[in-house]
Amino acid sequence: MTEARLIQGNQACAEGALAAGCRFFAGYPITPSSEIAEHLARSLPGAGGTFVQMEDEIASLGAVIGASVGGMKAMTATSGPGFSLMQEHIGYAAMAEVPCVVVDVMRGGPSTGLPTSPSQGDVMQARWGTHGGHPAIVLAPASVAEVFELTVRAFNLAERFHTPVTVVFDEVIGHTRESVVLPDHVDIVDRRRPDGPVEGFLPKAAAADDITPLPAFGDGYRYHLTGLVYDERGFPTTDPTQTGALLERLHRKVDAYSPEIEDAETFMTEDADVIVFAYGIVARAAREAVRLAREEGVRAGLFRPVTLWPFPAKALEAAVGAARTVIAAEMNHGQMIHEVERVAASTAEIVPHLRVDGEPISPAELLAKLRERAAAQTGGRG
Amino acid sequence: MTDVRDYLREWAMPHVLCPGCAHGTILRAFLEAVKRLELDPDKLAMVAGIGCSSRLIGYVDFCTLHATHGRAPAFATGLKLARPDMTVAVVTGDGDGLAIGGNHLIHAARRNVDLTVLLLNNSIYGMTGGQAAPTSPAGSVASTAPAGTAEAPFDACKLLEGAGASFVARVMAVDPIMSTNVMVEALSHRGFSFVEVISDCPEYFGRYNALGSGAEMLAWMARKEAGVAAALANKRYVNHVPTASDTSGLATGVFHREERPVFTGLSTQAAR
Amino acid sequence: MAEPVRSLLLAGVGGQGVVLASMIVAETLLRAGYDVKQSEVHGMAQRGGSVFSHIRFGPAVESPLVPEGTAEVLAAFEWAEALRWLQYVRPGGAVVADVRRVVPPGACSDRRAWLSSYPVIDATVLREREVKAHLIDATALAADLGNVRAANSVVLGALAAYLDVGRDYWESTIADLVPRGTAEVNLAAFRSGAEAPAALIDLPAPETGTGFVPARIEVNESWCKVCDICSRVCPEYCLDLDGDTRLVVVAPDACTGCRLCEMLCPDFAITIHHEGQVPALATTGAGP
Repeated sequence: MTEARLIQGNQACAEGALAAGCRFFAGYPITPSSEIAEHLARSLPGAGGTFVQMEDEIASLGAVIGASVGGMKAMTATSGPGFSLMQEHIGYAAMAEVPCVVVDVMRGGPSTGLPTSPSQGDVMQARWGTHGGHPAIVLAPASVAEVFELTVRAFNLAERFHTPVTVVFDEVIGHTRESVVLPDHVDIVDRRRPDGPVEGFLPKAAAADDITPLPAFGDGYRYHLTGLVYDERGFPTTDPTQTGALLERLHRKVDAYSPEIEDAETFMTEDADVIVFAYGIVARAAREAVRLAREEGVRAGLFRPVTLWPFPAKALEAAVGAARTVIAAEMNHGQMIHEVERVAASTAEIVPHLRVDGEPISPAELLAKLRERAAAQTGGRG
Repeated sequence: MTDVRDYLREWAMPHVLCPGCAHGTILRAFLEAVKRLELDPDKLAMVAGIGCSSRLIGYVDFCTLHATHGRAPAFATGLKLARPDMTVAVVTGDGDGLAIGGNHLIHAARRNVDLTVLLLNNSIYGMTGGQAAPTSPAGSVASTAPAGTAEAPFDACKLLEGAGASFVARVMAVDPIMSTNVMVEALSHRGFSFVEVISDCPEYFGRYNALGSGAEMLAWMARKEAGVAAALANKRYVNHVPTASDTSGLATGVFHREERPVFTGLSTQAAR
Repeated sequence: MAEPVRSLLLAGVGGQGVVLASMIVAETLLRAGYDVKQSEVHGMAQRGGSVFSHIRFGPAVESPLVPEGTAEVLAAFEWAEALRWLQYVRPGGAVVADVRRVVPPGACSDRRAWLSSYPVIDATVLREREVKAHLIDATALAADLGNVRAANSVVLGALAAYLDVGRDYWESTIADLVPRGTAEVNLAAFRSGAEAPAALIDLPAPETGTGFVPARIEVNESWCKVCDICSRVCPEYCLDLDGDTRLVVVAPDACTGCRLCEMLCPDFAITIHHEGQVPALATTGAGP
């Protein structure tokens, strides 16, 4: 292990990308994500990579897709307004099955909103933001160290499943400096390339595991990539059978592998009466609140989804167990709470704790909420 | 390689474009240029956006990337920076390249990325059903301009030259030999090369403006100095026809050529 | 009785420099003391089109145009042009002609007939016309001097032999009017033309139809969308539509192989086979 370093979340993201093998970055300046681009503008060329500042976020993800089609691991980073513009190409990358990583350092919204304040307002957009419906993989780190770790994982998942992967964290994590020890080795996954003959290559022929090979342009396999619905040759089709098969496969490619993809952290949930559901920076406040509540005798616990999408429903169900209350804490007007309700509303009361004023949720307010809900439970019994 | 048809994905033919649409003629002229330059199909990528012109790339047996509407220059920029060993050509249309994708096009030109862009200008949106385009001559009829467009059109070549394209040319589909010659020069140019190709759209632009079939539209195209505006001027029911001086924009040839540093994305290395 | 007005005709094809040559002739005559009128016609300004120039001179000239059968000398810079304007020469007049052949490029109407009927270089027609004929391979002479572009000066030298104008007038005019740096070679060319013996030379006849390869039109009906472009552009009317549903090769033997239809077909549906070059096995049809 290398020595501990004091680095910012955005820098950890850039270093994670480099460690994962990212050699192409295209982006557009936007607060609070710009440090990722600035760091990579300095470090990519020396690593044999390419940095380009594009004319907008649409073009940024377009260039990233172009570079990935050329065989490079590629990413972009942005914040809410830019993330909105990128939705078009997130859909394209999902449809055409082009690996790429999009980082969204969330700020207050809607619209231009609060550029320098934290938010978690984009988590549903990360799932449903582009038109037409598509599978999504979205990771939500809660610390600077985890930003590094999950950025690496985002590349590995993108390369494993040939799909866009989004990393969402908020302005506080992006701009927080923490002492972290970055690993000097990370496991890296590379996309599947074809090994058959070039002649007669069918880029989208049925694959037993639903993951079709992806040769780089220029490597001898000549094929067509499109955002239209395509057949096994990659060529546009409107045939209902082939259309259905393609869309089912694209969804199955993530859904069927969700046990492998999903990740969640639990803290003191085994015997908990009240569980806080939180992710990202809020989960850190929640962890502190749970610890303080336990000291007061409140049987509190924390459930933190690390993958927001696919949503770790089974893990949540297991964690909730016999708990009678789940406090869903989010820095938005209630987004992931709908998933919590879907999973746990039949066995527990789901209580929102939401903030949309640009201020992070504090341990103190969550502690107060835990006390209040525990008291209510006791009162209910009495 | 004796015939440009050997470059086609024959299993995908015939292509989707309408009878008399000259886009296929332009593709053929391009393939003649590929043949003359003996480009390696494995190292030739064609990137396109959305629209009639962009569908062409599906029919050629190269590495073909059918991107999103207007964004082909951005995709192509990423691809070229990642694969400097490849020749990257963009096929776009007047709506794709000058309306929704205008920003990407001018910035690719400004950066001087080593791309060749063919902009097939048929003065209208064909695939969506004949709506007015940023190239529709003022006064021409479109489904969204039933009384004639009130807007002034872009001169694509002047726009691109102003944006910094280091090679700017215009040719006409009716002249496939000149088209091929200019495309050979564009593909050989180091840096961003832009070729506007005047095409036709008999199905919409021709029909709405009574310009006749594909053959007749090619005939007016052949009258280079007059062009479409003069043809429209003869149609009494078309309002706001441009003056004679407005037709001068349809000159053909290589308008601009310069050598300047090509953007490879690695220039920041020098700063380190 | 006043001295009569005399006429000359210069003819060639676009790109040869006919206009400059006729300016040299007119300027020479002017310097020699004549009244001169010169009128050139170059309606087809492109390379390969016919260009001719009328020159009339004498003590006083009113009309610039040469009536048929009155030209004292026809100076032609290309063989077919010599024949085209032959009727302008008066009985007993002279024809000075370069025997080079310039075949017009590109497709034109009746291309096949034109190619197969390019006039053979045969002096018989001149003998029959009772004109003095002076045929020179001016291009070859100019090439020997180091610049084929000086061929016109060779022809002017031969023309000068038929006119009673002092050599000094010719040479000073040539030196003044030819492009900078070419005076020396043009003067040498002029002298070689003036000194070449007047002769009726017969050159080996080129084969009839040189350059013509029989061609066959193949239509891939599975790709053809019957758009009508090919049938409208074919100079030989080889193609036609059958009731707007099908393209038909109506005159297969008329095809000259110009490939206009093939190049302008938006659907890659036409192949022109140049017989003898393309194997009979050439296939179309869909399928990889």
